[in-house]
Amino acid sequence: MARKILQGWAKWEKYINAFLLLVAVVFPILFTRPYLINVGVMCLIYVLLSLSLNILTGYMGITGLGWAGFFGIGAYTAAILATRFQVNFLLTFLAAAVVSAIFGLIIGLPTLKLSGRYIAIVTMAFCEIMRTLEVNLDGLTRGSRGIPNIPKIGFGEFNFSRTVQYYLILAIVVLTMIVITRLMNSRVGRGILSVKDDDIAASAMGVNPFRYKVMTFAIAAMFAGLAGAFYAHYIGFIDPTSFTFDQSTIIISMTIIGGLGNVMGSVLGAVTLTVLPEILRPLMDVRQIVYGVLMVITMLVRPMGVLGGFNLRHIRQQMGIGKEEKARELSSTEN
Amino acid sequence: MSSVVLRTENVTQRFGGLCAVSNASIEVREGEIVGIIGPNGAGKSTLFNDITGLYTPTEGKIYFYDQDITGKKPYEITKLGLARTFQNIRLFPTMTVLENVMLGAHCRTKANLLDVVLHTRRNKKEEQDIRERALDILRITELYDFRYNYATSLPYGMQRRLEFARAIASNPKILMFDEPAAGMNEEETQDLNVFIKKLQDMGYTILLIEHDMKLVMNICERIYVLDHGALISHGTPEQIRSDPRVIEAYLGKEE
Ligand SMILES: Nc1ncnc2c1ncn2[C@@H]1O[C@H](COP(=O)(O)OP(=O)(O)OP(=O)(O)O)[C@@H](O)[C@H]1O
Ligand SMILES: [Mg+2]
Repeated sequence: MARKILQGWAKWEKYINAFLLLVAVVFPILFTRPYLINVGVMCLIYVLLSLSLNILTGYMGITGLGWAGFFGIGAYTAAILATRFQVNFLLTFLAAAVVSAIFGLIIGLPTLKLSGRYIAIVTMAFCEIMRTLEVNLDGLTRGSRGIPNIPKIGFGEFNFSRTVQYYLILAIVVLTMIVITRLMNSRVGRGILSVKDDDIAASAMGVNPFRYKVMTFAIAAMFAGLAGAFYAHYIGFIDPTSFTFDQSTIIISMTIIGGLGNVMGSVLGAVTLTVLPEILRPLMDVRQIVYGVLMVITMLVRPMGVLGGFNLRHIRQQMGIGKEEKARELSSTEN
Repeated sequence: MSSVVLRTENVTQRFGGLCAVSNASIEVREGEIVGIIGPNGAGKSTLFNDITGLYTPTEGKIYFYDQDITGKKPYEITKLGLARTFQNIRLFPTMTVLENVMLGAHCRTKANLLDVVLHTRRNKKEEQDIRERALDILRITELYDFRYNYATSLPYGMQRRLEFARAIASNPKILMFDEPAAGMNEEETQDLNVFIKKLQDMGYTILLIEHDMKLVMNICERIYVLDHGALISHGTPEQIRSDPRVIEAYLGKEE
């Protein structure tokens, strides 16, 4: 049964993705209430965050516990550049991604030689350090007062409407998914998976595990930083409370519950865990508990997450309907 | 005389107080099949690990074609042209058979982040090339029909063959097999015998550790015998067979 569903999904993946994209595109047209579009935007921001962490935790197998740290770096970079130097959003996005990736390198280089457990603790500590810096570097971050009046996304006097901002983050998410998919179906992706599976064997087969870990860490941090930049401009106000360890917990819950090593898993996890508390408004106070319970259930039933570990390309290949198979058939009928 | 591919010079490996390998000097010449035998715990795998960079020898030097490779990282050594298999098979379980072999060609390919994200022509061509090459290797190792199965879903004997295939994909000068016949039945071992000979004909130099005496005596031109970390004998299969020191190491000293 499960196998049939999986095969169906693999077979129709293209159409299913097209349909989901269509739903995402018509959503703000059908539901014009600002509240709903806002929920949509928040979903997409969390999808981006969850995707970024999935690169590190799902594909590379390194548990990143303090992911809000990078979200915060991106948000503060964008906010500071936009409020103090009136930098356009295109450049603040770019700067946020780059700065966050650089922080990824700074954290990754000294720690990624450690074993997984220690890395998890280091990333956790990192998030706390970043939050403390955000509170205490008053001159730069305005401390706990936060940074208000971050310019809306737009050009000069012209601000994008909420709906256009929705489409912007949707485009970023789709691009990110394409990048991850291409990355993972390539020489580099095989290198990443080999290191996750067995770094000694990978090393003996010519892959430099440390280099791959650092690279993956930086890429993952980059996308988290990008999410931060969008968030800062979109909300217009940031303060350290947005980038706490609780936030990190939310992000990793989304990634793990949705599915490790599967981009659609991140979509499922992020959308579910963003929409659920909205529907269950009264449960807002116990959001953390809901996440915790969901997490425990998932861990027990499917440790890799609901969609975790499914590789649709492999399933297609095993069914004999892979892209490569088709290309081969074509070329063999030509001769 | 053909040139020396691999040479160890007084390699010693200590683990705390334990001397797993002491003063081992071996050499392997181009085109040879050389065996390393010895009782359990003799230090054979440890010597392999020293050569392939998984361990750094406590003392001694390792040369690959006169180049000192002592202390180099495993991936650097593989790139130079050494490839190995493991005593306890180490395949990549979340990758297919084909992908395991393609990964083997990692150090012979170049596509970087930008190439793969932008899908450059160079990347497409390279990907297609190593795919074809990997499929060829899978045909030789008779794993072609299982190319899309997950590596660790294969039966044991095939997993061993897949490890050979993956090692071959790195286009090495020398192949190092750690107990290739372990867990194989008589027939599979016979096939392995033929296969290793075939590899020799294809131009590979081979160094192997093996407990199966029939196989070793059959295919190796020269044999080194390790016991308690030390080389106790070295020679042709005939010489080894009749060396009293070897018999003693295997059967124990007669009181
Ligand atoms: N990383 C390590 N740390 C400590 N001791 C080790 C390590 N690796 C190997 N040893 C020890 O070194 C000795 C030699 O082990 P090795 O695996 O090289 O033997 P072997 O000849 O390959 O034996 P077998 O035929 O059983 O595979 C053993 O006593 C083993 O316990
Ligand atoms: Mg051994």
